Amino acid sequence: MNLPGVWAIYRFEMTRFGRTFWGSIVTPVITTALYFIVFGGAIGSRIQEVDGVPYGAFIVPGLVMLSLLTQSLMNASFGIYMPRFAGTIYEVLSAPVAATELILGYVGAAATKSMLIGAIILGTSAFFVDLKIEHPVMMVAFLILTSVAFSLFGFIVGLWAKGFEQLSLVPSLIVTPLTFLGGAFYSIDMLPAPWRTVSLFNPVVYLVSGFRWSFFGRGDVDVAVSLGATLGFLVICTGIVAWMLKTGYRLKA
Amino acid sequence: MQPILTLSGVTKTYASGHQALKSVDLSINKGEIFALLGPNGAGKTTMIGIVCGLVVPSSGTITFDGHDVARDFREARRRIGLVPQELSTDMFEKVISTVRFSRGLFGRRRDDALVEQVLKDLSLWDKRDAKIMELSGGMKRRVLIAKALAHEPDLLFLDEPTAGVDVELRRDMWKLVHRLREAGTTIILTTHYIEEAEEMADRVGVINRGELLLVEEKTALMKKLGKREMDISLVEPMSVVPPELAEWDLTLADEGHKLRYVFDAQAERTGIPSLLRKVSELGIQFKDLDTSKSSLEDIFVDLVHRPEQAA
Ligand SMILES: Nc1ncnc2c1ncn2[C@@H]1O[C@H](COP(=O)(O)OP(=O)(O)OP(=O)(O)O)[C@@H](O)[C@H]1O
Ligand SMILES: [Mg+2]
Repeated sequence: MNLPGVWAIYRFEMTRFGRTFWGSIVTPVITTALYFIVFGGAIGSRIQEVDGVPYGAFIVPGLVMLSLLTQSLMNASFGIYMPRFAGTIYEVLSAPVAATELILGYVGAAATKSMLIGAIILGTSAFFVDLKIEHPVMMVAFLILTSVAFSLFGFIVGLWAKGFEQLSLVPSLIVTPLTFLGGAFYSIDMLPAPWRTVSLFNPVVYLVSGFRWSFFGRGDVDVAVSLGATLGFLVICTGIVAWMLKTGYRLKA
Repeated sequence: MQPILTLSGVTKTYASGHQALKSVDLSINKGEIFALLGPNGAGKTTMIGIVCGLVVPSSGTITFDGHDVARDFREARRRIGLVPQELSTDMFEKVISTVRFSRGLFGRRRDDALVEQVLKDLSLWDKRDAKIMELSGGMKRRVLIAKALAHEPDLLFLDEPTAGVDVELRRDMWKLVHRLREAGTTIILTTHYIEEAEEMADRVGVINRGELLLVEEKTALMKKLGKREMDISLVEPMSVVPPELAEWDLTLADEGHKLRYVFDAQAERTGIPSLLRKVSELGIQFKDLDTSKSSLEDIFVDLVHRPEQAA
């Protein structure tokens, strides 16, 4: 195991995040505050409670998830796309770094950053609403699993993308809509019957639901199903990344 | 001599269908400086890429000091360094942190004294805290060299180390290469220039269109390839070479305005002084003398057309 190599990549990535630290922190904090004002304040005055949870608190898990997904995806995809684009990837490819070490470095750093941001949003939320977390261990577990899974997904996107357009396409065209339609701000029980069924095909529903369960002990689907879906997504992404690195997909000519 | 790197039957056909390497067999000796000489698109960078793991070979095997570079990639790669042809750098990084990064990436523990030494050797110590984007092109190239040396490789690839580099830096580069060789590092460099191969290498390989045309000791090669031409520009054009000059095997060029003499630059006696003496004895007036080395292109034409000699 080339631990200094993993550490070098991890540190490099964390330094890169450090350079844009304030930007990365300010944006989610302001966005979160805006969501609370708009959703919690304006809509929350009409919807008093969902499943016995005050609406302001109800949207917290969804808000954290929304940032977690987009941050993981963007950090990880940029992390590997930039060296490809700038040509500096030659060094990593010529180094004694195995595929697992490459993933640990890049995906580990991206997941770390999005977890930090997730925690900051959670902290911000505590200023607006009363938060109680019923299953803190599971909450942390979902936080970690989701960050890692979506960082792996971002890594795939960063390897696959042929240009900056494609790089921004996936988060804006797929992940954001899926998150908004995935029950981040409502319970899918509130939807009419056909839409409820359609929603069950949206993988984000399971992530949000499981995460929400860890806060309030209730979710749209059973927590075991959520956990299974999250793990399943993680396994699929790991498989794809492993295959990409083994074949040198878009890394080696 | 013990080989440190062996390529056998290495070929590469890119996805585009272009065959960049046609079955290359090559053995590099421990501690030598090997120059790979060839025109644009010959396959030099492709060959280096295959050894370093940037390009997947279509067939063939490569061993580094007894290790298969594909199977035993860790052992091979931690001892190989690469300075790429392109100036690809992390623009926002500081010089010193990018060199430390390289050392770590190659599995080595942090060693500030060594990094300091490498930076000083490359005259980069004063710039250690500068961001790479603030450096000139020549300095960036030195940063890439520092990165490649940070893990103390036994085999170093320099892909066109002197492309776009001024005379002074070029001379520094040559010195560095000799210093590294003295420390026991094996060096493989690519170049377009015969002079450079002549200056730096122990052995030279000539590659063209994906084929290694020949591999030879530099001295032997220079004998073979070191032909020079001397043009004597005449005041009065001639129609035939005077019989008194037959000894030198001259030809007429430029519609009789020039007498051309081809000689061996490495020979003890070039025959130039006696030729010039004879020319003035004969009262032939000339206004200019010009000597030139045969160009790389001439050499390739020569090699390709006379394969029996190249073998
Ligand atoms: N990724 C690639 N895909 C397709 N063809 C490629 C690729 N890389 C190189 N080639 C082709 O392979 C041939 C050899 O290229 P290579 O870069 O190895 O040449 P070189 O000897 O290093 O040339 P130069 O002196 O210009 O650096 C060229 O014809 C080039 O166009
Ligand atoms: Mg090249």
